[in-house]
Amino acid sequence: MLSDAKTRSIFIQGALVVFFVGFLALMLTTTFANLRARGIPIGFDFLKLPSRIVISEAILTYRTRDPYYWAIVTGVANTVFISALVIMFSSVLGLLVGIARLSSNPLAAGSCRVWVELARNTPPIVLLIFLYSLWWKVLPPVGEALNPLPGVYASMRGLEVPGVSIDVGTTGLLVVALALAAAVASWIAMRKGRLSPLAALAALATAVAGLWLADIRFSVDLPVFKGSNFHGGAELTPELSTILIGLTIYTTGFVAEIVRGGVLSVGRGQWDAGHSLGLPRGKILRLIVIPQMLRVIVLPLNSQYINVVKNSTLAIAVGYPDFLAVMNTIISKSSHSIEGVFIILGVYLALNLTLSSAANWYNRRIAIVER
Amino acid sequence: MAMPFSISADAPPAQLRLSGVMRLAKLLFGTPLNAALTLVFGGLLVVTVPAIMRWAVMDAVLFDPDPKACRAATGACWSFIYTKSGQLLFGIYPLDERWRPATVCLMILALLAWSVRPASWTPRLLAVWVAALALIFWLMGGGCGLTEVPTSSWGGLPVTLILTVVAIGVAFPVSILLALARRSTMPVLRTAAVILIESVRGLPLLSILFVASIMMPLFLPEALLPDKFTRALVALTVFAAAYLAEVVRGGLQAIPKGQYEAAAALGLPFWRTQYLVILPQAIRIAIPALANTIIVMIKNTSLVLVVGLFDLISSGKAALADPEWPSPAAETFLFIGAIFFALSFSFARFADFLERRGPAAH
Repeated sequence: MLSDAKTRSIFIQGALVVFFVGFLALMLTTTFANLRARGIPIGFDFLKLPSRIVISEAILTYRTRDPYYWAIVTGVANTVFISALVIMFSSVLGLLVGIARLSSNPLAAGSCRVWVELARNTPPIVLLIFLYSLWWKVLPPVGEALNPLPGVYASMRGLEVPGVSIDVGTTGLLVVALALAAAVASWIAMRKGRLSPLAALAALATAVAGLWLADIRFSVDLPVFKGSNFHGGAELTPELSTILIGLTIYTTGFVAEIVRGGVLSVGRGQWDAGHSLGLPRGKILRLIVIPQMLRVIVLPLNSQYINVVKNSTLAIAVGYPDFLAVMNTIISKSSHSIEGVFIILGVYLALNLTLSSAANWYNRRIAIVER
Repeated sequence: MAMPFSISADAPPAQLRLSGVMRLAKLLFGTPLNAALTLVFGGLLVVTVPAIMRWAVMDAVLFDPDPKACRAATGACWSFIYTKSGQLLFGIYPLDERWRPATVCLMILALLAWSVRPASWTPRLLAVWVAALALIFWLMGGGCGLTEVPTSSWGGLPVTLILTVVAIGVAFPVSILLALARRSTMPVLRTAAVILIESVRGLPLLSILFVASIMMPLFLPEALLPDKFTRALVALTVFAAAYLAEVVRGGLQAIPKGQYEAAAALGLPFWRTQYLVILPQAIRIAIPALANTIIVMIKNTSLVLVVGLFDLISSGKAALADPEWPSPAAETFLFIGAIFFALSFSFARFADFLERRGPAAH
């Protein structure tokens, strides 16, 4: 009977299912028995209780009497904030470094090569701890803060950067949302050819008018040193600055290599062909080289972005409360470890799936359409 | 133009022979863009290099074992690294027994160097490693004539090396099974493999380490509960297996269908087909990617400090706590970073070599 491939396959799979179910059942019964023995209740009800845990810094407003679920949201916001900034900075820097590595200038190519090799071959956690140990050693006290760029000050207390505030009321926010929706809808309709250009123009004009009506005010707030402290601007603590700088240095090394690979993957013949058509350099780059390069780099670039989200957990090494650090505190404080573990798994899978499905959608759009 | 992808029309005519200095000057200042790049990068180097040199060499204390010299100096305190090298490398391992972790480190490094030669990739390699690992665990743990040292006293470089080597060694066979399961025609098997691989790959290693140290005490009976070292090792192994499985799957996908058909025509059953025909070819194709995954794992073992294991970083932190010394943190972490860099940089060059060589014909 077992010699028949189909029967054998069903038999193996049946055995597998029995094994998994049995393993799971054994695990769960032991877990519940262990939890009961320690008197720990199970369930997500604890999320509504006041947490009384301390989150040393947060992007959102958080007070210790806030409930657990708000502490979790605060942690997620911190993680998303770090990841988004690092992705932004390292994409720009990685593009520059990657192209500079291909330069014929030995000084530029060599310096960028050193950066890439150091970033790729050092554990990010060592880099973070090293940078953190430098913070108080290299930087001056707040009164003599370094001013490397206009509006940016670096001192022992952290980085002072220009703050951007967007001033818009609740009604205004609604108008903005509607206007953006109208603009996106008309753009999509036009691309599909279901809307006359005139109608699209009208829709866009309405959207712009809506944005104008919403009366958004951008204001840039520069930090100014007065008395013994900085006023205005936004203050990044040494911990946050270390993570942002360290992870950006690290990720840039990987992005640069991907960009370099992408540029090299577009053959010289493509440039020659563009020139022979009489296109200027800018147009060759924009119309021929970059679209082909994008196809090569989108997916590897995205897996780097996912790595940034994962590496943001290293914030724990310098004591910045990212999502994982917050969850760790919650678990040790509330003893709801099973629920905590499920929340950890759920949040990271959700973040990474969002990123990778966005990349896959974009990748499908720019992929070669074959006949 | 200095753009890397400049067209051939921009290249200088062949008869133009420039001397070395001239050629360099042309590369540095030949075009406006190159001149600008030279100014920017040259400026950066002129600002940073002398300052770093002054700190690291001129004003530094090199070998003076007296902590007072470090307090007086304005530069780096390398004598701290020099004096404390034993503690930095081997952590809290008993002082009189330090020759044991030292031997273990040398053994693992020598074995690694020997194993990366393509000539030693034979079934014998496996036997050598198994024997070596038994010897390594005996040397580290003691027993049978040596003083016993529990894993909680292991520390420093040997912990990093053992975690890397054992995690990858155990994960590799598991990853082959996972890769085969993911390509299987049986839906239950395939789904199980996909769920395992994708959820591990979707999670940060740190969260897996946490889950391993939080959950294992809960779902294992008290008697079976492994120590911290084993828990971290299990987490690292699961992590490595998921990543290696995808690399192996990549190799499997590159095998043409004709190979399977040929094996079927010879009447080979499934496992013999895999063992004799498919896997040797698939793994050979996947070797450069495998080497890259190993570099990632070398770097990742540094995370075990977060779950309280005594790796290089924690032994560095412990050494820094000595109140007699001025706590030269930057120097210590540079030293630790340099060890990791040396390990993974040499492995990266080896991966490059394999990639250039291409998959072997046989």
